[in-house]
Amino acid sequence: MLELDNVWKSFETKQGMKQVLRGANARIRRGEHVGILGRNGAGKSTLLKIIAGVERPTVGKVRCTMRMSWPLGGSFGIQTSLTGAANARFIARVYGTPVRETEEFVEDFSELGHYFREPVKTYSSGMTSRLMMALSFSVDFDCYLVDETLSTGDARFADKCRAVFDMRRANAGILMVSHNPLHVKKYCNSAAILRNGMLEFYEDVDEAITAYQGL
Amino acid sequence: MIIGDVPRRADSSQVATQLRVIGALFMRELLTRFGTSRVGFIWLLAEPMFLALMISTMHWASGHGVGNNLPTFLFYAMGYTPFVMFRSIVNRGQNVINANMSLLFHRNITLLDLAIARNLMEAAVCSMIITLFVTVAAVFFDEWPHEPALLFCGLMMSALLAHGLSMLLAALTCFYEPLERFTHPLTYLMMPISATFYMLSMLPSESRDLLLINPLVHVHEMNRWAQFGDRVVPYYSIPYVLCWILGLNLLGMAGLRAARSRITMME
Repeated sequence: MLELDNVWKSFETKQGMKQVLRGANARIRRGEHVGILGRNGAGKSTLLKIIAGVERPTVGKVRCTMRMSWPLGGSFGIQTSLTGAANARFIARVYGTPVRETEEFVEDFSELGHYFREPVKTYSSGMTSRLMMALSFSVDFDCYLVDETLSTGDARFADKCRAVFDMRRANAGILMVSHNPLHVKKYCNSAAILRNGMLEFYEDVDEAITAYQGL
Repeated sequence: MIIGDVPRRADSSQVATQLRVIGALFMRELLTRFGTSRVGFIWLLAEPMFLALMISTMHWASGHGVGNNLPTFLFYAMGYTPFVMFRSIVNRGQNVINANMSLLFHRNITLLDLAIARNLMEAAVCSMIITLFVTVAAVFFDEWPHEPALLFCGLMMSALLAHGLSMLLAALTCFYEPLERFTHPLTYLMMPISATFYMLSMLPSESRDLLLINPLVHVHEMNRWAQFGDRVVPYYSIPYVLCWILGLNLLGMAGLRAARSRITMME
């Protein structure tokens, strides 16, 4: 269970304080696949970082009894000067999974071939996101926090990620933030819209998408 | 391997987790520091050697040594290398947050873990160099350390002082960014007032008392006695240094805690 209780977040900018979240509330149960739609700059990534527990809300509470992944997007949490293999070993040590098994799993899943033993900074963005998903799947998280990253791999790899989510549906959920309704439709069962720093939940994904497109 | 089949993690206690994380960060620090180039390591070794060589040559040229039958080269090398350790821990440690921003995406990595791993690495590297100096002195010049255990304590103390100060500076930099520019000059200005190239017994008592405010002076005086024994007259107080270590480390940890909520993570 994940609960956001009246979460506010403000940042100091050169033009004074900027309010990004203004009282977001949410309740997400284990195994749910939830999409959060928002325009660019709506505060999606900020929300994800707060849910992941890596940034603190200015006001409000986050209660979480699930094991959340780190925010998966860009090259978050990956060390680009190290090889894919070194990153896999690092993740294994940080999260306490068996090191060799994890390295094998990531090598297998990411399909990077000999690039697996090259520094990540030489990767294309598609390859980086394949490594990212492989790293995150190598740890038994209850909820995967996805920041539009699944879109960057090719279609076949995206299908593979979906297959993993389907297979682990019973105990692993997704919380995905995106500005693209298609991604949300592909992976999620329910959706919310992040607007004016607040969350509006919809039971039905199509309903949410219609409302989002009407913005 | 079936793709639904994941490596499972074993449950572990809070302390065990933290130790494991620090271990992982230490390994990574090792890779990023020496995996790509060894120039940094050579410089750490060459710089104090070069400096000690220069000063002892100057002494030799001017025709008088340090007195009391002390080996001139070792005297300066022993004074300078622990200071190099202090300086490089402070300089590298102060940058700990910026250099490791992407790691903060993993929630069980704290700023304290990052600082410990980074500074531990630096202390280990510098201690190795100092051990090398001491070993060479012992084997080739028959200058065995008088109190090896005390010398080791002295090194630990100077590392812990630097650890506390670097955490404090790292935290303060989050609140006031330009501070970053002052760290280097600060560590350089510390050099003449830290009893690296002279002994307190060479000074008049007024300046001695003034210098003894600086905890590093105590550490360096102690190191010298630990190496040369009764050929030098040391001035130091271990409890005084421990108070500084405690104070700096508590302030540093509190500072990192306060700084954490101010950090906005960008890639």
